[in-house]
Amino acid sequence: MPFLSHGGHRIRYELKGPASGPAYVLVNGLTQYAELWRGYCDTLVAKKFRVLTFDLLGQGESDKPSLFINQDDQVAAIRALVNLLGEGPVFLSGISFGGLIALRYAIAHGGTLAGLVQMSSFAELSPQLLLLGNAMRTGLILGGTSYLQDLLLPMNLSDAWLGPQLKHLEAIKRQGWLINDVYALQNLMDSFLDFEALTDRLGSIRIPTMILNGEFDFLTPRSLHETLRANIPDSALIIIPLAYHAFTLEKPALTAELLAKFAADVLSGQWKGGGSVWIAPDEAGGEVMPFPSEYDHLRAIPVRKATT
Amino acid sequence: MTPFLGPLDSSGGVPPLQQTRVAAFLVSAHGALARRLAIGTPLTLKFGWQTELHSQLHRETEIATLMMRATSWVADFELAHLCLSWETAWLPKPVEGVADWSQGVLIDLAALAHAIHAAIRPAALLPVEANAQDPFVLALRRIEFESSRLIQAQILFLKGPEFVAIRGCVNTAVERRHQQVRDLWEAMLKSIGVQCA
Repeated sequence: MPFLSHGGHRIRYELKGPASGPAYVLVNGLTQYAELWRGYCDTLVAKKFRVLTFDLLGQGESDKPSLFINQDDQVAAIRALVNLLGEGPVFLSGISFGGLIALRYAIAHGGTLAGLVQMSSFAELSPQLLLLGNAMRTGLILGGTSYLQDLLLPMNLSDAWLGPQLKHLEAIKRQGWLINDVYALQNLMDSFLDFEALTDRLGSIRIPTMILNGEFDFLTPRSLHETLRANIPDSALIIIPLAYHAFTLEKPALTAELLAKFAADVLSGQWKGGGSVWIAPDEAGGEVMPFPSEYDHLRAIPVRKATT
Repeated sequence: MTPFLGPLDSSGGVPPLQQTRVAAFLVSAHGALARRLAIGTPLTLKFGWQTELHSQLHRETEIATLMMRATSWVADFELAHLCLSWETAWLPKPVEGVADWSQGVLIDLAALAHAIHAAIRPAALLPVEANAQDPFVLALRRIEFESSRLIQAQILFLKGPEFVAIRGCVNTAVERRHQQVRDLWEAMLKSIGVQCA
């Protein structure tokens, strides 16, 4: 993989697909690395997209600043990567921590994007997320990367995915443990210590925005995605059935298909955001269905919407 | 060159020469931190933050003595000049841009501790097949486990409010110590056939 030099740092990236195609930039979550998007690259490149994957600063093989790094540094790195893509339409998609970075990018540089995808993302730290984040940070400090992995795996993935993987879990964890340095993860988590909510700035995002939220996402539940849906004007929320926070790992075929369809709809002028709410199919190939309008999509049980 | 220690012996142990060279480096580095902390920690603690110094002193001492006891040492005639170069590297260095000498010494100590615990990942050198009950293997894992908390202690100190005005100097000192430790660690590993990933 080549490296981009920016601001004194080296960022490892990979660009695949036809030079003339619309581009997708995919942003990792915490503890992730670029290779986890390989299936997405294959699917999207087959549909004539260019796909840019990279390691965030502090992760994978990109530079890991020893002490000082903030979320604006990540945004600046994406700006430099987007510059590599030239004039064509660019779609930016991020998961979890990467979703937050993508959100910041869209607020600062929305004019460079054709569309934004928010996956398991958030614009503010709810009390639950704040306390969970603090607990994860403490766990990382006291127990190291492997403890954080032990915490995140059952929190973010379903039994259906974990069950068959139980025998291979140590090998899966080892790859992530080897590639992540604990000091760099501590620096990334410390970048939340002075976090200020972005909610008031969401209205400035004028581009089409698709928001994806796992049905059972415990870490960033529906309410956090609702903040995005309610405040980003041209957005739509799609609920991924039976999925948790890390549905990009669990349902790559379905998610890649949703990404491709979103971009195609935007480019063909068929995208209808408008704050609508949808339900994705269980697997790739199915239909995206409107969420029943008479029910409250914030509830886990079928409660009718309050009439206003 | 491989990214891991080995080839392992039939019981999953690391070759003694590799053990000797890795352990000597770790004893030198953590021993240097222990010595500097011993000098910097008063006999009677008067401030809350000094309890952290006391704790770090004992963690560093534990790491050095653990490596001394858990290693299968063999004669290694190259160690004399290697140890000399390592020990020279750990000596206190002035931090540019910090006028207060004692403050500069403290920043350099924290920067060195951060680098030794962050840039060195001894457990990541172990292949999957390493014997989990081998004392040398366990010692390497123990050091990496302890490092996480000790790194955070340095982060809290180096990012503290009293250093906001000299943040650039602090950052330079930490980056320089990281580069120094990384270079020495990688050169030592290369000398025993291990290439850092």
